[in-house]
Order: sequence, then structure tokens, then C-alpha cells
Amino acid sequence: MLDFQWMADHLDDLAVRTLQHIELAAIAVAIGLLISFALAVLAVRRRATYGPILAATDILYTIPSLALFVVFITITGISLLTVEIPLVLYTLVIFVRNIAAGFDSIPREVLEAANGLGYTARQRLWRVEVPLAVPLILAGVRLATVSTIALVTVTSVLGDSFGGLGYFILEGYRRSFPTELYFGAVPSVVLALLADFALAQVQRRLTPWQQTEQRAVPPPFVKSDGWI
Amino acid sequence: MRTSRRLALGAIVLALLVGACSTGGGSKPTIKIGSVGFDEARVMAEIYAQALEANGYTVDRAGIGLGPRPVVAPAIESGQIDLQPEYIGSRLTHEGGTSGPDSAANASALQEKLTPKHLTLLNYAPAIDTNAFVVRAETAQEFNLTKVSDLAAVQDELLWGLPTDCPTNALCGAPGGALQSDYGITADTIAAATLLTACDVPMSDALKNGTIDVAELCSTSPEILVYGWVVLEDDMNTQPADNVAPIVRDDYLAKLSDKDAFKKILDDVSAQVDTATLADLYKQVSVDHKDLADVARTWLQAHGFAPTAS
Amino acid sequence: MDLIVRTLAWLTDPIHWAGPNGIPARMLEHVGLSAVSLLLAIAIALPIGLYIGHSRRFIWLAVNSATLWRALPSLALIAIVLPITAAIDPQAGFKVYPTVVAMVVLAVPPILVNAQAGVTGVERDMVEAGRGQGMSEWQILQRIELPLAVPVIVAGIRSAAIQIVATATLGAILGFGGLGRYLVEGFATFSLGGDAEVVAGALLVAALVVVVEAAFAAAQYLLTPRGLRRQRSETTVAA
Repeated sequence: MLDFQWMADHLDDLAVRTLQHIELAAIAVAIGLLISFALAVLAVRRRATYGPILAATDILYTIPSLALFVVFITITGISLLTVEIPLVLYTLVIFVRNIAAGFDSIPREVLEAANGLGYTARQRLWRVEVPLAVPLILAGVRLATVSTIALVTVTSVLGDSFGGLGYFILEGYRRSFPTELYFGAVPSVVLALLADFALAQVQRRLTPWQQTEQRAVPPPFVKSDGWI
Repeated sequence: MRTSRRLALGAIVLALLVGACSTGGGSKPTIKIGSVGFDEARVMAEIYAQALEANGYTVDRAGIGLGPRPVVAPAIESGQIDLQPEYIGSRLTHEGGTSGPDSAANASALQEKLTPKHLTLLNYAPAIDTNAFVVRAETAQEFNLTKVSDLAAVQDELLWGLPTDCPTNALCGAPGGALQSDYGITADTIAAATLLTACDVPMSDALKNGTIDVAELCSTSPEILVYGWVVLEDDMNTQPADNVAPIVRDDYLAKLSDKDAFKKILDDVSAQVDTATLADLYKQVSVDHKDLADVARTWLQAHGFAPTAS
Repeated sequence: MDLIVRTLAWLTDPIHWAGPNGIPARMLEHVGLSAVSLLLAIAIALPIGLYIGHSRRFIWLAVNSATLWRALPSLALIAIVLPITAAIDPQAGFKVYPTVVAMVVLAVPPILVNAQAGVTGVERDMVEAGRGQGMSEWQILQRIELPLAVPVIVAGIRSAAIQIVATATLGAILGFGGLGRYLVEGFATFSLGGDAEVVAGALLVAALVVVVEAAFAAAQYLLTPRGLRRQRSETTVAA
């Protein structure tokens, strides 16, 4: 059933595709985090924007990735940018919620104490609010990382030069070649679980005062790798 | 043997790291190669890529396996890729022309369509891959099918499998196209068909499993021989002679100091690819599960287009 | 701008509202596939979630399963299941079952985790009070824990339903149909106007998601015991 010789012959490809997979996911998570941070600060500072921002990220989630690829190929070409746009958009649904919840979890007295000490809004944000929101932000990073790693596989519809481990999944599917399929799918799952584990360790190190690891405020849904 | 594939893969990562900036030197600028998604087209793209590399060109494989023709065609028109292997009859139809059984006529008609888009069609290979309507042997026997026009009378008793672009492709199921106006297949039959990507194994699997009874496959599909399927005769001559040929952007050619040498590399390769060769290359990838790069390299070396020592 | 105009033209063309490839037919297929998948997911996830929640055993399993299942690539799942189900039934086994399996896998975690958390979250005092009155474990689950956990459980089913409706487009990969058919067809005819079909398909999916969301919000409100309604009922424990 499985062709182990084929697997042994393709370990170098596996390494390259795994690196690409990590890179595509890392870029999406990093950019998604930055955009979400700005959105979350806005949502918390201007309460009226909170609902619309959350609703917008929910709606983005329901757009099939293929539709985003189709629209963006004409604008941004067959490029890394076209690959990353859907991945980044799908992380927002997780990040915005968690960062905003992180800010919301800070007791009023703490904020008032910071004001009393004469902090400017910017000082208060970076010295008080962000450090206190870290547990939830990290929990969000964990959740977003796991789901983005699964999602990267869909980018293989943009040709052989993208897709990470999804390259093997799509090619294996097209050739009806189970060995290649598992060769992409199993490492992709392992990668997601390893990333989850590693980030759990980071969480523990950075927030040692938390007795149990902070769990993410879950979005109503997490983008699956819909493929279309 | 495996080194250059590793390099090719390394180049993907490198391209990702530095962004796809093409800094090719004056005479041999980096060429971006693309292709449609199925194995035969991908292996031809890889063969052209390696033939150029053997002659000192730098190749960016960003667009290989990109997707169906309507995705690849605008990609080369807009300059996201510089070169693609193409099936000339199908492309001519795609460009709004009328393709026929004469390869040379198709090629010159296609060049007329491509000239205003600043694209050049290079010499076509003798290899022909035609769209083929295929049924299992027992289906052919049961319904007495030998040609495509036999299908109309029994179309409702059969389950149809067609390529995803079929409903709008004039060579297939588009209103007024081959199936509807030449063969009397109804729009309802086409709408009810199972749509799968053209020339990929899942379409053959569906025919093998009995999920569908009629499939449009590539005539070079290895499964046809393996399972003894019946290719129905295209008795209304609707399917064009689909020779393989590279299409290249004029602005890329203009950047070259020796355009003719560039064309000669590709023309020499194309001249050696006949239908049996094409089918064999296709089979090596899709059935034997060999790597594109290895299949391409072995073939190029066997025909003296690439050095044998690595 | 042109794309928006063409999308509207596509959506309003009467041709696209009739026949086996019309929007009503494809919508029906989409809803049918989603409903079957959701029912299967509920049948699998709800009993397990309730058991874990009531017994408080294997809670780690419920929590971690969500991470694992989220990491499974759905195309791989479909391709792995395909040869097996196609051998059993060449029709549905090729076109429907693989997709249903992928969708059930997607939908199980939110239902399971919410059922577990909903039951575990019921105040211990109330459970103990039930035990004091001589209720059996089954009666405690049925009469105390379940009614109090309903809002959380329905929230989980709602998440699962939205997830399913949004990804039932998968059904088109193997030629089943549903609204994903417009995405697949449109992608294949991308530069020939297919881009409008893709966008139209995406909009139809989004519209369906909104309808499902509203329906479940109403169901959630109606199923919540009156005394609990003023609490925040939008509690989703994990997706």
C-alpha cells in the first residue's frame, strides 16, 4: 500500500516543502497578528467599532479561499502576496477576538491607576495593557498557528511553487497515489501539533503566574482548509 | 542525478525568501515558465525548463501547474509567466478561433490570434493529445457504441464525466459547441454531469469505479490502454489536432541578444516529442509516480539535450 | 467594478435560476449535504460530549481533540476515504461519502467540546441536590444537567452548522454539486467570465451562512430555559 522507497527518495523534498510550509504559515500569522492588533486596539478604544469589526472578520471567514485566489490573481498575480492574503484574512477571526478579550480582561482599577500615575494613552497601552493582555494574545497565536498550518495546504492550487506540504497532497490526489498523499498530510498534522506544543511551552515561560495555561477565546468557527 | 532537483526545490525557497526578483544578465534573462495543472503539461514545461537551463538560462518555475487554461492564459498575457507549453487546437478555440484537423492550419490561425497579444507560438511538436470521449468496454458493448454520435440516443441512460471547464468550452459542452450542436447532447445532460479536473487521475478513477460511464479524457491518458477502454470515434471531426507547442512572450524574446538560438533550443526539443513519447512521459509521472524533474532529465539526456554527468 | 457588474448579471440571469445546475437546485444539494453531515456529527459528538461532561473523565480528550482535528487537511481526508467508499458504492461512495466524512470531522469538535463544557459547567450544588433526592445518574443528566447545558450545546451545534455550510463547497471537488460547483466551474473558466461565477458562488454561500446563523440564533433563544435567558447565551466554548 505504501511505497517506502518513494518516501525515502523524497526526504529532501519533504525538508524543502516543510520549510516552505513553515514560512508561509509564519508570515500569515505574523502579519495577521499585526493587523489584528491595530483592529483590536481600535475596537477597544472606540466601542462602537467593536461589533462591526468582529462581524467583518466573521464574514471574511466564510469566503472560500478559491474565490479569494481568483479575485487576487488578477490584482496581485501569481505571487507570495496572493498566497498570503487569504491566509492572513482567515487569522483575523481568531486574533481580533482574543486580543480584544485580552484588553477587556484588564480590571478598570489597573487602568485608572495607570492614568493616575500620569501615563499617556500610548504609555498605558505598551506598559500596562499589552503586557496584561499577553496570555490571551498568546493563546490566540496558538490557535491561529494550528489552523493556519492546516490552511497552507490549499495554496497548492496556485501551482507547484506554492502549497508547502499541500503540494504532495494535491499531487498525490491527482495521481491517486496514497503514499504521496500521506507524505504530505501526516507531516502537516505533525507540524501543527508540534507548533501547538512549542507555543504551549512559550506560554508557560512567558506567563508563569498563570496556574493553568490560558485557553483562547474561541471564535465561533475556525477556517478549515476548504480547498475551494 | 538528484542534485539538480534539489537545486530546483532550493530555488523555490530562495525565491520565496528574496521575493521573485529577476536579475538575469543582459543576454539570458531569467525566464518564468508556467503550465496548466495536469501531469502531461507539467512534464512538458519541465522539459523546456531543463533544456533552457542546460543552455545557461535561469528558469523561474513559478507558474508550473498553475491551473486550468483560463487561469494560465491571462498569466502569460499579463507577463506573470514568459513561456508555457500549450495544446494549439484547444488554445485556438479558447482564443475564439475555429480549430480543425490540420495542425499547420491550427498553428498559423493561433499565431494570428496571439500576435496582437504580443505572444509568439514556436514550432509545434509532432505529438498530438486530443480530447477523447471514452467508455468502458462493457458499456460500449451494452449500448453498441463505437462513435461519439452513438451517445445521443442513450445519453440519459449514461452517467457523464466532463472537465470542469466543459460547460463553457466550445469543444465540449458550451451552448452551440461540439457536444450540443454536433452530437445532440442536451444542456441538461451537461448540467447533470460530474465535473472533474481535465486529464487528472480522479476522472479515470471515476470511470473505472463506475461513478461515470462516459468520460472526456486526454487521448494520451495511460489508463485507456491499461483498462482496455474504448475511445469513441469523433465522427463529426469536432476535436482539433492538439499538437504541443511552447508559447513565449514577445517582450521576453526582445530581451534576448540571440533570439534564434533561444528558439532553436525549444524547437529542437519539440521536434523529438511524438505522440508515443508524450504518452510515455505522461505515464511515467501519473502512473509510475516518478518526479517531473527526473522524468524530464532522463528524457533530455537520452536525446542529447542535457549533459549526462551531473 | 466590472467584476461586480458581471457578478450581479450572473446572479440575475434567469438561466441560472432553473434546471439541474440552477441556483435553487444547487442550494438544495448544498443544504442537504450540510444537514446530513450535521446530523451525523451530532449523533457522534453529543453522546460522547455528554458522557465526558457528566462523568468528568477524559476531559483532556475533549479539549485536545479539537486541536488535532483542526490540523487535519480535508483534501487528504477526502482522498484517503475515497478509494474505500468508492469500492462500496460507486455513486455516492465517490461523489458524496468522502465529503461527508470530511465535514463530519470538521463538525464534531465544536459539538463535543461544548456538550462537555456545558454539562461540566452546571453547578455542583444542583447535581448534588439531585443525588440527595435519590435521582439516578441518568436522571441527573436528563433532568438537571441537560436542560441547563442546552444554551451551550446549541451554541456548539450552531458553530458546527456554520462551519459545515461554509465548507460544503468541498462537495464539488468530486463532482457532487452544491454551491461549490459554481466555484469549480468558474475557476476553470476564470478569464472567460468565470470569475463572476466564482464570486457569485461565494456570495450565495455567504448568504446561506447568514440565514443559518439567524435560524440558530432563534433556536438558541427558544431552547434556553426562561430563567437563563438573561445570561449571555452566546457562549461558545471552543470551535
